[in-house]
Amino acid sequence: MRINEPAVFRWVVIVMVAAVSVVALTLLAGRLVGALWGLVLVIAASWHGIRWVQEKRRGS
Amino acid sequence: MESATVSLGHGHAEEHHGPPEANQSSRIDRQVLGILLFIVSEVMLFGAFFASYFFLRVVVNPATWPPAPYEFPVAIAGVNTAILVSSSFTIHYALEAIRRGNRNGLKLGLVLTWMLGATFLFIQINEYVHIGFSARDLAFGSIFYCLTGLHGAHVFVGLMLLTFATIRAFRGHFGPEPEKHLGVEVPGIYWHFVDIMWIIVFVTVYIL
Repeated sequence: MRINEPAVFRWVVIVMVAAVSVVALTLLAGRLVGALWGLVLVIAASWHGIRWVQEKRRGS
Repeated sequence: MESATVSLGHGHAEEHHGPPEANQSSRIDRQVLGILLFIVSEVMLFGAFFASYFFLRVVVNPATWPPAPYEFPVAIAGVNTAILVSSSFTIHYALEAIRRGNRNGLKLGLVLTWMLGATFLFIQINEYVHIGFSARDLAFGSIFYCLTGLHGAHVFVGLMLLTFATIRAFRGHFGPEPEKHLGVEVPGIYWHFVDIMWIIVFVTVYIL
């Protein structure tokens, strides 16, 4: 993935969709469930980021 | 011999003046790398504020959040979030327009982004005026104003960058080649970062 404006914009859309899911879950099931779902998303994003960096290092 | 050296030195001086050219990676532009490193430092700054916030929420753990009798204007902040998210779409539109050589689209996108950003800032200041508590009201008030105020300062800086980019766009400075619209792309990346940070601040502070 090349780092430029369209790549960052894609992340805006991803974060927006993730935020909408957290807000929806919070309104439907309560703050604790929403917070836990948010934590799951943060861990998933971190794992994805670490994998991406590792692949980049292997590639270079 | 001496004259040959002098002549070589003179020839070299004619080719290049000043310090040697800085090395540039072919993978990423210097300006883009600069803004990315700046954003990494900004993420750490926001991280410090979020650490204070979560310490207050999780470790101190007040009975209700926000502490009674205070309330957050969630609906207004939600509308403000929609406004700021829209501005990411308009700046993306501006950049897509200049990539296709559409200068009018660039100008329209930049003006719309600036107006949406200014509206966001105006609503946030209005929210501060009417919210009913100040930064002096408990630690919760301090962290609320610190987090949202820090973000507001970033929006203000983004608006300044957009102002320069818009003035340059109206003067016909940008072109469709990647190196000719870096002056919009770099503020665009910064603006997206400000947008992502607000989404996180909004969900964390107002919703959870």
